[in-house]
Amino acid sequence: MNYGRELLKGSTDSLLLCLINSQPMYGYQIIKELEVKSNGYFQFKEGTLYPALHRLEKNGLIKGKWQKLPSGQERRYYYITEKGQGALNERLAIWRGFSEAIDLVMLPSA
Amino acid sequence: MNYLEGLKSYLRLDSAVRDDFLRELRGHLEDKIRELRESGVSEEEAKEIATEFLGSPRLLARQIYEVYSQGSWRETLFAVLPHFLTASLFALRWWSNPLWLAIIIVGVIGVVIYGWCHGKPTWLFSWLAYLLIPVVIAGVLLLYLPGGWVWVATLVYVPLAIVILVIVAKQILKIDWLFVSLMLLPVPIVVGWVMVLSMNISFFGTDIMYEAASWIALSFAVLALAVATFIRVRQRWIKVGALLICAIMVLTVVALVSNNALSIWVWLFLSLLALAHLFVPAFLERKMRGKVVSES
Repeated sequence: MNYGRELLKGSTDSLLLCLINSQPMYGYQIIKELEVKSNGYFQFKEGTLYPALHRLEKNGLIKGKWQKLPSGQERRYYYITEKGQGALNERLAIWRGFSEAIDLVMLPSA
Repeated sequence: MNYLEGLKSYLRLDSAVRDDFLRELRGHLEDKIRELRESGVSEEEAKEIATEFLGSPRLLARQIYEVYSQGSWRETLFAVLPHFLTASLFALRWWSNPLWLAIIIVGVIGVVIYGWCHGKPTWLFSWLAYLLIPVVIAGVLLLYLPGGWVWVATLVYVPLAIVILVIVAKQILKIDWLFVSLMLLPVPIVVGWVMVLSMNISFFGTDIMYEAASWIALSFAVLALAVATFIRVRQRWIKVGALLICAIMVLTVVALVSNNALSIWVWLFLSLLALAHLFVPAFLERKMRGKVVSES
């Protein structure tokens, strides 16, 4: 399997929590925001986003709420919960330690 | 049939969750189509591209099913409780105590009414089976009526039993055929035991019942274990496997205890009953969903 895809798969939940933590968002907005923030590197398979969001919601890390857009259409916005913020902080700490260790081994000159 | 209708036919979720999910995806498709239209793509092409990006509706339905298909430990406890109660009824030789039986029957009816009126949670279906078991036992008892009465009673009983089963099963099939199989799981097991006991003694005499009680208790303990697996795993194929393995294991126990008392035809009937409890609901659901799609 593609190495990049495997890495993304392992980081999906953390990326989603991080984005939703910055501001409440709905599904399509998350896809666009992820694309913009990663300079087009992360291009989410749209169909896989919603099961991931619902899984996070079922685990109590985010909460969905229907809200009206200025156009009058309704979208399901996701908000991070207290439990989600705790999980995100924990993941960020692990990620920092992990990426530093990877850099030390794989990019020693840097 | 458009993408969302196709997806809806594959989704096996609680109706509130399903409607919310479809509404969310409708919004997603609207946004995607609008964006594509703004970049100069035609309406038809935009719709096609937008649904392609969402991927196969069957795969999406499976992924979302796996999110919601795992019950909590509390739900698991609730689902296995009736089987454990039945197992203890036999293990402790309490089945002949009218007080215990009355408490259990009233308790089962109360729990089933509560579950039916509160969104039909997954744990309800293992309780529901115990309301249907008297229907099956009454059918077997008909065989012991004198002479021509068997035919008269059968002509009245069989259609009545089928109507009751069909009404209950039809309601549950709207959610998921696997719940019908879960509900019917004790049926082949109970029928197997009733046949073994009735071939060995005058019906429900105490001696053989006392001898077989530990094995019957074991059967219901296996049933409880299968139900716990069913509730806790996410994948459908493991759920199906848990129900099938349970039926095979219990019928094997019944065979060991029966001492060759049952004929090959009875075993064939029990085996077919065990397979039918799994595959007939699946077949009926397929027919029902096909009918709904063609009508829409």
